[in-house]
Amino acid sequence: MRFKGFVIITAAALISLVGCGSIKDRKASKVEGIDYMALQKKAETFVPEIGTYGGELIMSTISDPKSFNPITATETSTSEFTQYIYEGLTRIDGVTRMPEPNLAESWEVSEDGLTWIFHIRKGVLWSDSVPFSAYDVEFSFNDLIYNEDINPNSARDILLIEGKKIEVTPLDSHRVKFVLPTPFAPFLRTVNGGVAPILPKHRYEKFVKSGTFSNALGIQTPPDSMVGTGKFLLDSYVSSQKVTFRRNPLYWEKDSAGNRLPYLDRLVYMIVSDQNTELLRFKRGEIDVLAAKGEDYPGLKKEEAKSNYTVFRLGPATGSSFLFFNQNTLTDSETGKPYVDPVKQSWFRNPRFRKAVAHALDKESMIRIVMNGLGYPQWGPMTPSEGYFYNPDVPRQEYDLEKAKKILADEGFKDSDGDGILEDADGNTVEFSFITNSGNNVRVKIAEIIRKDLETLGFKVHFQQMEFNSLVQRIDNRPFNWDAILLGLTGGPEPHFGKNVWHSSGTLHMWFPRQKEPSTEWEATIDTLFVSGVKELDKAQRKAIYDEWQRVAAEKLPLIYTVLNERTVCISNKFKNINPSPNGGVLHNIEKIYIDTEKQ
Amino acid sequence: MRDEIIRRMLISIPQLLIMSFIAFLFIDLAPGDILAKYRFDPRISSETVEKIEEKYHFDDPAIIQFGYWLMRLVRLDLGYSFSREANVSAVIAERFLNTLTLSFFSILLTWLVAVPLGIYAAVRQYSWGDRIMSVISYFGMSLPSFFLALLLMYTVYVGRDLPIISALPMGGMISSNYEQLSWPLKIVDRAAHLILPVIILTIHALAGLQRISRGNMLEELRKQYVITARAKGLPENKVIYKHALRNAINPLITLFGFSFSSLLSGAALVEIIINWPGMGSLMLAAVRAQDTFLVMGSMLMGGVMLILGNLLADILLVVADPRMRK
Repeated sequence: MRFKGFVIITAAALISLVGCGSIKDRKASKVEGIDYMALQKKAETFVPEIGTYGGELIMSTISDPKSFNPITATETSTSEFTQYIYEGLTRIDGVTRMPEPNLAESWEVSEDGLTWIFHIRKGVLWSDSVPFSAYDVEFSFNDLIYNEDINPNSARDILLIEGKKIEVTPLDSHRVKFVLPTPFAPFLRTVNGGVAPILPKHRYEKFVKSGTFSNALGIQTPPDSMVGTGKFLLDSYVSSQKVTFRRNPLYWEKDSAGNRLPYLDRLVYMIVSDQNTELLRFKRGEIDVLAAKGEDYPGLKKEEAKSNYTVFRLGPATGSSFLFFNQNTLTDSETGKPYVDPVKQSWFRNPRFRKAVAHALDKESMIRIVMNGLGYPQWGPMTPSEGYFYNPDVPRQEYDLEKAKKILADEGFKDSDGDGILEDADGNTVEFSFITNSGNNVRVKIAEIIRKDLETLGFKVHFQQMEFNSLVQRIDNRPFNWDAILLGLTGGPEPHFGKNVWHSSGTLHMWFPRQKEPSTEWEATIDTLFVSGVKELDKAQRKAIYDEWQRVAAEKLPLIYTVLNERTVCISNKFKNINPSPNGGVLHNIEKIYIDTEKQ
Repeated sequence: MRDEIIRRMLISIPQLLIMSFIAFLFIDLAPGDILAKYRFDPRISSETVEKIEEKYHFDDPAIIQFGYWLMRLVRLDLGYSFSREANVSAVIAERFLNTLTLSFFSILLTWLVAVPLGIYAAVRQYSWGDRIMSVISYFGMSLPSFFLALLLMYTVYVGRDLPIISALPMGGMISSNYEQLSWPLKIVDRAAHLILPVIILTIHALAGLQRISRGNMLEELRKQYVITARAKGLPENKVIYKHALRNAINPLITLFGFSFSSLLSGAALVEIIINWPGMGSLMLAAVRAQDTFLVMGSMLMGGVMLILGNLLADILLVVADPRMRK
C-alpha cells in the first residue's frame, strides 16, 4: 500500500497559486479519455534506436528510502530504488507485464509443473567482477528468503506455498532446480527481481551467519559495498535530499549493436516532499520527469509547445478505490450482540441493495469534477493496465438513478413517512455512517460526491473522515463498528496476489474478514476460483478462471468500484527511446533511454 | 550561581519525565498504530506483524510500555523508528544539524534586523517610518508562514529569467550535481540553498519581534528615570541608548531563551514546502505515522532545548542586568 501524504493546507492554497490555467480555462477544458488499447499495441511493437552514452536523468520522489535491503523492504519507497541494483531469475516486461527471462536464460518444467530447472545466464558478473552463479540463487532463496530470522520478509510470505517452502538445489554452477510442493501457476512471476531478488553469496553470507542481515544494507551502508547485477549501482544517498545511481559498467544486457547497456551515466532521484514544489521545479527544468496530477494537466499541456517537455497520457493507472459495506454476521462474544445491527445486515448483505448503490454512483461527475477529465470508470476488480488477466467484459452498473430507485422500490424500500428519507420494508429508516481516510484529497472529494449520490437515493448518510491508520484498524478489529467505507488498494498484474482480499478467510476480505466458512454462495464460488486458479498451469484456462472471478465480483459488488485516475507523465524532450506504454509507464526501458546530444 | 544551575538541572528531570509521560499517553490514546500499514499490506502475513508486536511490547498497557521506554532511555537508547526504519537517535542526529543551521541564520538575521527596527520605531513613534513599519508588521504577523513560503517560491519561479533570481535554487539543501562540484563550490551551493528558507523564516519572525522591542522601548521611555535623565540635561543619545535601551533589552533576553528551543523544533510546514529536512517536518511525519518512539525522542530533545534555553536566558540576564546579581 502506498499513500502519498500531502499537506492538506498547502494543497488548498495551491490551486489559485500554482495550479496554472485560470478557473475559466478549467471549465472550458473538456478532456476525453484516450484510446489506451491502441497506445499499448503501439508500445508492444516499438523498436529502440541505438543510443549514445552519457548524461543523467533527474526524477523526483516523495519520500526517503527506508533501507536498501531488498529482502526486508516492505514499501515501494525502498523497492523503487533497489530495483536498479538487484535482479531476479525472471523480470516483468515493462510493456506486456508478463514474466521474461532475466538472470535465468531459459528453463524446463516437468509434466506435473512441480519441478523447474533454470539455466543461469552465462557471463553475468556481480559489480565487484565476481561471476554470478547458481549458488547465489541457492543462497538468496534458502538463506535469505526462507530464513525465519529475517523479518519482515514479504517475499517469504509470497513464496511459502500453502505454508510450504520451495526446495531449491543447485545442480551445477549454471543450473538450479526448484521443486514446488503443489502446482503454483504464478511461479515464474514470483521469482522476478521485485519479489525474489538475487543477492551475492560471497558478500552477504557473513551477515546471515552472524544474524545481522535484517539490519544490513541500511541507509548508512557505504554505497560502494552494495554489489548487484542490476543496471545501475548506488552512488550516494543524502538524507531527504537525493539518491544517486551510477551506471553499472558490467551490466550484462547489450543493445542490438552489441553495446553494453544502460546508456545513461547517472540516475538522480531528488526527494521533494511537497507536490507544488515538485511541479515548480519540473517547470524550471530542475527535474526531468514529473507524474502530473489531474489538476495540473491543463497548465502543463498549455505550456508544452513552448517548453522543452512532452506530456504523455497513458490511460488508467493501476490501484483502485472502492466503496464497501460491512457484511459481518458474527456476534461479539463479549457483549452477546451482533457486530452489525441485523437491520443493517439485511440491507448491506442484499446484492440488490448494493447494485442499486452502484447504479447511483455518478462516475462521470467524479472524473470531470475531481480529476479534471483525466479518469476512467472502473467496473471490476482488475484494471486495464494490469494486462493479461484483465477482463473487460464484466457486468457494468452504469449511472442510472431511475433504475437504482426502481431496484430499491422492488426490494421494499420506500419513503413511507414522507420525510424524504427511505424506510425499508419493516419501516426502519435507512441511515448509516460513511467513512473515508483523510489526507488523500482526491479520495475525499470522491467521497463527497458519493455521499451526494447516496442522499439522492434517499439514504441518510453520516459522512466522516478519519486518519488512515485508525480506519484500517477499525476494518478488521473488534467491534467492527462501521457501515460503509471508501478506500483504495494498489493492484498488480497477478490476480493470485489479491487472494488475501478475495478469499473469504483473508485478513483483507474487508467487508467480512477472516471467515471460517464463506458466508454466501458467491463468496464460496470465489474461494473455489482462487484455489483452482493458482494451480491451473494452462494459461488460457487460468485466464478463464480469473475472468469468472471478475465477473462474479462485478455482479455481487462486495467492493463497489469508483474511478481510476489517468497516469499522466511529463518528460523532458532531450531523452530518446521513450516508449510510453499504458501498462508500463515511460521509464520501463530506462536502460535504453539516452540523451540526444545534438539537442543539448 | 553554580548552585542555581545545578538546582535547575535537577528540577528539569521530573519536568522532562512528566512531559514525556503525557506525550506517551496521548500517542497511546490515539486509535490505530504504526503497524497498521503492515496489517493492511497484502504481502505481509499476520504472523510477521504479531512477531513485531511482541518484540516491542505494543500489546502491553501504556504504563508498562512507558516503563520499557524509560529503561531503554537510561541506557541512552531512544528506540527504533518504524516509519523510518532506523534507530531514533540516528534519525534525529541526521536532522539536528540541518535544523540548527537554518534556525541559527534565521534567528541571527531576525534579531539583527528586528531589534534595531523596533527601537527606531519607538524613538520616532508615529513618524512615517514607524507607521509604514506598523503596516508591514501587521501584514507579516497575519500571513501564515507556509503561505509566505509558497508565495516566495512562486515569485522565484515567475522570475526565472531574471539575473539573480534565476540562480536561486528552489528548495532542497543541495543541487542534483552536488557531488561533482569542487569544495568551494559545494559551500556556495549550500549557502545558496539557505537563502530562500532563511528569508522566509526571517520575514515571518521579524514582524512580531519588531513590535515587541518597539513596545518595550516605548514603555521604558515613559518611565520616571528617563524624565529625570532628560531633566538633568543628559544628551538625548545617552538617555536613549545608554539608559533606556539597556532596560528595554531585559525582557527580550527571556524571549531569546524561548527562541532557543525553536532552534530545534523547526517550522514543519515551511520545511515541507522548501524541502528542508529539519526536525519540524520529521516530528509532523512521526505524529501522523504514530511512530511512538520517534515522537518521544524528538519531544524529549525539544524539552531539553527549552530548559537549556531558559537557563541560558537567565544566565544572560544576570550578565546584562546588575540588579539580578544579588
